[in-house]
Amino acid sequence: MTLIGEIIAVFLTLSIFSFLYKDNPAYRFAEYLIVGVSAGYVLPLVYKNAFEPFVLQRIFVEHKFIFIIPCIFGMLFWFRFSRSYGWLSRYPIAISMGMVGMGVTQSMNSMVLVQVRQAMIPIESFNIFLIFLGTITVLFYFFFSKAHTGAYGKFSRIGIWYMMIGFGASFGYTVMARISLLIGRLQFLADTFKGWLA
Amino acid sequence: MNFIKNLQGLDRRYVFVFIAVAIIMPLIFPFNSVTYTTTPVENLYQLIDSYSPYVRADDLNEDGIISEDEVDAFKQDRAIFMDFYHDASTMPELFPMEVAVMRHCIYRKVPFFTFTIMEIAAPIIEEALSVVTDEIQKTGRVIERGKDYINIGYKPAALYLPILLGMGDDIAAAVETDTDGNRIENLPMYRDTAIRNYTQMNLVYETSGSDQGLSWMVYARSRFGVNVGVGLTAVMAADQYPYLQSGQCAGMTAGLKGAAEYENLVDMFAMNNITFSKGQLDNPTEKMLANLDITKDTVPSKFKMARLGMNAQSVAHILIIIFILLGNIGYFLEKKKLNKNL
Repeated sequence: MTLIGEIIAVFLTLSIFSFLYKDNPAYRFAEYLIVGVSAGYVLPLVYKNAFEPFVLQRIFVEHKFIFIIPCIFGMLFWFRFSRSYGWLSRYPIAISMGMVGMGVTQSMNSMVLVQVRQAMIPIESFNIFLIFLGTITVLFYFFFSKAHTGAYGKFSRIGIWYMMIGFGASFGYTVMARISLLIGRLQFLADTFKGWLA
Repeated sequence: MNFIKNLQGLDRRYVFVFIAVAIIMPLIFPFNSVTYTTTPVENLYQLIDSYSPYVRADDLNEDGIISEDEVDAFKQDRAIFMDFYHDASTMPELFPMEVAVMRHCIYRKVPFFTFTIMEIAAPIIEEALSVVTDEIQKTGRVIERGKDYINIGYKPAALYLPILLGMGDDIAAAVETDTDGNRIENLPMYRDTAIRNYTQMNLVYETSGSDQGLSWMVYARSRFGVNVGVGLTAVMAADQYPYLQSGQCAGMTAGLKGAAEYENLVDMFAMNNITFSKGQLDNPTEKMLANLDITKDTVPSKFKMARLGMNAQSVAHILIIIFILLGNIGYFLEKKKLNKNL
């Protein structure tokens, strides 16, 4: 059974890699299979882990009829497909948006206030000085109410350099990530072939 | 000159072949290379280690000898929570770090929960658990599901916030059942211990290929003071550094490199049951170094996936640098020639 699984996995991996040469039926087969299998896998799992315990169990076994209300709201999503009754789907969307709104104040705290507070610390080392300089110059660069000329322009130009270094670091990390994905697949192929030969 | 000129018009498929060969060779013929650990990884390791009963027994023990009874007296009143938020596409980077953290927890008797709101991540959790438990049980150590760890498994995404906030009060009430349908309050890791909420489960380690870790910082950290550690794909790492700098993120393992660093720390310290110290990291003993030889079978191959991969990564990076240099040399030579002809 394991061998059959390995053969299928090797075939599908090589099918996907075959696109590097050129588009072909084997690649397209593997691509469509991923989409189909993912959807097929998700459906029963959601039924078992969401529908069964939170709808069937709660309403029909535990008789907690209050759960009918969220069920009705959930079902309203389906009216997205109706031209006449599409407006009904806005109610569950409104509730979802309300949940997002709940996080605004906490997001403001974690993503803005704490970050700003941590940027306002005594410049005790060269690294902190670099962070301070970077924060100020990048903020200057994004201040568009004044023309970027003269000393102001030169100062904001330092901000561009900071951003370029940031983009370079991100790009370097991206290259590393993409190579890692390739390594993962090649590691699988190498290990599988080694296993077969042994 | 002709060689450089030809390189400019090289079919990209040759580049693919070069990269493939550069990656395959180190995987077939592994070699040892030095893996330097970085502060974010060390911080994460130290934080998890601090929950270990071995560390706490060690701190309170004056005779320097820790018996299993002393360890068990401390056992299971601290735990960590692992949130898996990724599918199979990011497994090559994230899976080795998940395995390494689980190994660390099991070697050092730190109970852990595993959880996901992504349907596709549920089998990844099972795979990681089976890799770790199968290999460690071969050494004679018994690992019990529900006692050493609880796999909560998949919960619908709509329940993410209620669960995240509910765990501040009581994890059993928030998640109700584990992946096998057992009620959490009936499982030994909950029933026989003091682990109830974020007070005891004070570290959330979230692995993802996105900024999902921010949710834990925004909701769980700001409200309950939970430590948040993240395991990220390399693409996302640069985005998380500001949160490391501000202290909102307690530690980070980024990409395959982060996973390799964590593997190293587990092999040097946890596998030998030694408490982490920077001094010993800089001056390791022979015993600590013995597990680091990835060409030997001291450590199972599934526990050194990231380090084997990092060898291939290094070779591929060197090749990419050479290609970039050659490409630029060719570009400038071509430009010089054009200027001369004008």
